Amino acid sequence: MMDHILSNIIFLPLIIAMVMGVVQAPVKVLRLGAFFSSVVTLFLVLWLAYHYDPHGGMQFVEQAPWIQSSGFTYFIGIDFLSLIMLLLITLLMPPLYLYMMHEKRKGYWYNMMLLQTGVTGAVLSLDLVLFYLFWETMLLPIFIMIGKYGNGLRQYNSMKIILMTILGSMSMLFSIMYLGYMYFETTGVWSFALQDLATLDFDAQTFIWLAAGFLLAFAIKIPLVGFHTWMAPAYGSAPTPAVVIMSSIMAKLGIYGIWRFGFGLFETTLIYYAPTIIVLALIGLLYYAIRAITEDNLRRMFAYSSGSHLSLIALGIFLTNIYAWSGSLYFIGTHALASAGIFLMIGLLYKRFKTVHISELGGIAGKAPKFAFFFAFFALSIAGLPGTGGFVAELLIIIGAFKTNIWIGVFTATTMLSAMVYIFWMLQRTLFGTANNTTEFSDLNLREVILLLPLVILLILTGIAPSLFTPMFEPQLSLFLQDALHAIGASK
Amino acid sequence: MLSIIVVLPFFSALLLGIVYLGNTKAKRYTFYTIIGVGTPMIMTLLSFIVTYQVINGSDTLHTTLLQWIAIGDLNISIAFMADRLSVVMISFITFIGTLIHIYAAGYMKEDEAYGKFFAYFNLFMGSMLLLVLSDNPIMMFVGWELVGLCSYLLIGFYHHDTANITAANKAFILNRVGDFGFIMALALLFVHGAEGGFTFEAIATHISAIDPEMLSLIGILLFVGAMGKSAQIPLYVWLPDAMAGPTPVSALIHAATMVTAGVYMVARYSFIYVEIPDVGIFIASIGAASALFAAIIACYQSDIKKILAYSTMSQLGYMFIAVGLGAYSAGIFHVFTHAFFKALLFMGAGAVIIALHHEQNIFKMGGLKKHLKLVYITMFIATLAISGIPPFAGFFSKDAILVTAFTSEHYIIWGMGTLTALLTAFYMFRMLFSVFHAQAKEEHKLQALPKTMTQPLVVLAIGAASAGFLGLNEAYGGHALINTFLSLPDMKLHVSHATEYMLGGLNVILALLGMGLAYTLFAKNAEEAKENTRFKSLVIHTFYIDELYDILIVKPLLKISRLIENIIDPKIFDGFINLNIWGYLQSAEMFGTLQNGKVRYYALYILVGLSAISCYMLIKLEVL
Repeated sequence: MMDHILSNIIFLPLIIAMVMGVVQAPVKVLRLGAFFSSVVTLFLVLWLAYHYDPHGGMQFVEQAPWIQSSGFTYFIGIDFLSLIMLLLITLLMPPLYLYMMHEKRKGYWYNMMLLQTGVTGAVLSLDLVLFYLFWETMLLPIFIMIGKYGNGLRQYNSMKIILMTILGSMSMLFSIMYLGYMYFETTGVWSFALQDLATLDFDAQTFIWLAAGFLLAFAIKIPLVGFHTWMAPAYGSAPTPAVVIMSSIMAKLGIYGIWRFGFGLFETTLIYYAPTIIVLALIGLLYYAIRAITEDNLRRMFAYSSGSHLSLIALGIFLTNIYAWSGSLYFIGTHALASAGIFLMIGLLYKRFKTVHISELGGIAGKAPKFAFFFAFFALSIAGLPGTGGFVAELLIIIGAFKTNIWIGVFTATTMLSAMVYIFWMLQRTLFGTANNTTEFSDLNLREVILLLPLVILLILTGIAPSLFTPMFEPQLSLFLQDALHAIGASK
Repeated sequence: MLSIIVVLPFFSALLLGIVYLGNTKAKRYTFYTIIGVGTPMIMTLLSFIVTYQVINGSDTLHTTLLQWIAIGDLNISIAFMADRLSVVMISFITFIGTLIHIYAAGYMKEDEAYGKFFAYFNLFMGSMLLLVLSDNPIMMFVGWELVGLCSYLLIGFYHHDTANITAANKAFILNRVGDFGFIMALALLFVHGAEGGFTFEAIATHISAIDPEMLSLIGILLFVGAMGKSAQIPLYVWLPDAMAGPTPVSALIHAATMVTAGVYMVARYSFIYVEIPDVGIFIASIGAASALFAAIIACYQSDIKKILAYSTMSQLGYMFIAVGLGAYSAGIFHVFTHAFFKALLFMGAGAVIIALHHEQNIFKMGGLKKHLKLVYITMFIATLAISGIPPFAGFFSKDAILVTAFTSEHYIIWGMGTLTALLTAFYMFRMLFSVFHAQAKEEHKLQALPKTMTQPLVVLAIGAASAGFLGLNEAYGGHALINTFLSLPDMKLHVSHATEYMLGGLNVILALLGMGLAYTLFAKNAEEAKENTRFKSLVIHTFYIDELYDILIVKPLLKISRLIENIIDPKIFDGFINLNIWGYLQSAEMFGTLQNGKVRYYALYILVGLSAISCYMLIKLEVL
């Protein structure tokens, strides 16, 4: 099992899902299988993290020819970037399955397992065609889950997210194909491996267009302002597990993509786009946060919140210094935990009240103190309260921004304020005051506390002892940054 | 030892929190009290030991708990430093904190959420000590934010009433506006002056590397943080509303400790401020303006806690005058004495409120002198202290500040401070006489007060009466013990004894004047202020500042939010996308009509296509 550990981690959920599908397993067995697969992958990843060498580059590499004539290879490996993504994915799955325990619809479980394979594959792929394949694979379950198990205008909204993301995917695919073809032109062999394509050299204009293909896909996934109108409807309509994956993992894949492929393939060209993206990100930071203030639907509110913070993360990447980069990477992790937490809380709220509208809530703190505690905790960690990991990340990004330019710094620091307003006003109207809903509100039960507790503990640990986590990525991140800066410097 | 002082309350808060959440209905009065009150007692003991060590060893104590982060040059540890400034702070914070905890055990006894209260209260103590003892700006900021969080939680403690939560939100958000400045200052400080590391001591030694303009900017931004936390103009509006919290909270957080953190901060960063005296004058001006402004409002308030809140803001203004003009130890001295008499005033007010079954309007009280003798005497001492009547504590600390302003020739600031002194005596005695002397409007059925609530008052009254002697300066026959001990980079001023006596005498005369005026107006028959003149109604409505904030900030923000919701997102962004979809559908329909199933049309298309290809080839072959 440990020989091809990465492949096992990717495909275990899919294989279990397929076996279950073939034998027509009843839902009780199915969910046990799903939970089992998530726990096993978690342990595999923990084993991996333990054996991972933070000073080594790409590790646990597996490479096998796939469609040789076209140069497609099955090429996977792990470095600091994918390790963090992988840890997040596998950490979140068991709580999600615990959350879903009473779910009777089989399709739900199959989709989640397929989704896990899709996102895991995407973060481990080192071949661009393989990456593209997984990138699209993870879209399918989301489409189904919103369209079939969602609420509200679910079919319209699922169509909207699919069309907009596919627009991005297509442009990325075009860039990938062109890169592969040019590699064939120059070397006479087909290859889509990242390390091969990174050796290509074009004139600046071609690079700009090729980078645009990738950036469009990632900008839609994050989403940056202007590419975002799918976000709130999709978050609003999607069932909770899908929302958690979308905000905690998939949105971060856009960031991951910029790092892995953007900086991997055309770091000098990214500098051409940096001013635009920095401006878009700074606008997004405030635009989404202000929009969130008057939002009545909690899921949509935190969709905007997520957009605001992801803009901040995207900003950090384009401020090429170690503080901003570490901050962005750290934020990927802590924001994933916090937003998973808050969306799970919203899901639990929905289970009890059958509503996620703030105007129909109130006075929860009096009825259900445990619920109120967890809800407030996650909301405050979204707001970047010191003592939670989000603060560390925001601090690093703010320092990085000031390092770059004082004005960028000032605008970045508004993150201290932007989340505050909607979070605190929301808490006031949901948790406090007198209840305007007479529904009997049961407090969290043991299962729910258990599924939330790991997130709380991790958020606090990342907040009070970041030095436990930073050594995992810091050495390689600095090297990566030096390479990028070197390339950028050389091009000037 | 230092680490224990800070970490212990966090653990006790965690323990209390878990036990409370485990079963919120259970009454565990004894358990909560032992943990909740025992913790600050241990902290006090440890703080005194630390203070003793620093006094005798005269060295700064350092402890590192753990490395927090190490990225690039940013190397931050959770590390503590007990220097002279911080031991003065921790000794009175833990001591007064303990007294207020004991008081709270009586005050909150009947509350359902007694356990939660002490969890928050202990969390506050830990955060406050983190703020004070931290050896680097980042950890200080963490403590700074956490005390803000505790303040939020405790202001909104009675969360069934939305008004309290609004007050809590206001406090937190306005504090965050200040923190916005604070964090920018820290980032700039790090970017420009962290060659030697990012602890206070390291920054202080490298401060000359930063150019003066940048340093001024950093100084101003830091002070913005202080404005938020210490309720100075224009970020003060949260403090009066913060009185929505239980009275022990007002005493501990919004009078004695947290709100003085801004003053502590300026003193802590005195190594920056001595380089930029112009920013200091700005700070002093804001302080003077806040002192006077708050004192004017306090003269017309009717709610006992609001009067004390404005009074706190006013006294904080004095402290900023001091630290702004470079008299750091005078500022800290006033922080120290103020903690005693203001905590005492709040606790006394709380006792009155409880005795009168939650009545807070001073004009509905009256005649309590006989019934609440102990409360009356202790509050009287505190009032004398805050009004600046010697030999009580407030006189010496306030006098030191006004003397500084006068001798450094900032006469306007001095004038505002002196006028404030007059007003202070007036509104404080107005409150005291209305509550205790004036004729009662109705018969009161008083609720008995537990011993835990009255005994701490006595201890504080002793402090309020005598704490001033620690800072007695030469003119009054002392050696300014506390000032020498603090050894902050104070501005050196030469004051003749004659000036001191003159200014001190003037202050006493003004205080007595204010007292006398209050006596004639309120001692017999106290009446609420009426809105019969423009000025009065302006003051009673606290200058409509809240409404101004609403119009300038809150409303526009909501408008923009709605604008995005209704126009920008659906019409512009989605509009663009939908336009494309519409175009796509239109073209689909257009091309659909071409596909009409008639062979002769298809033949035509083939012909057109073939001709196009031929033309293209002919061009390519350069025939045409």
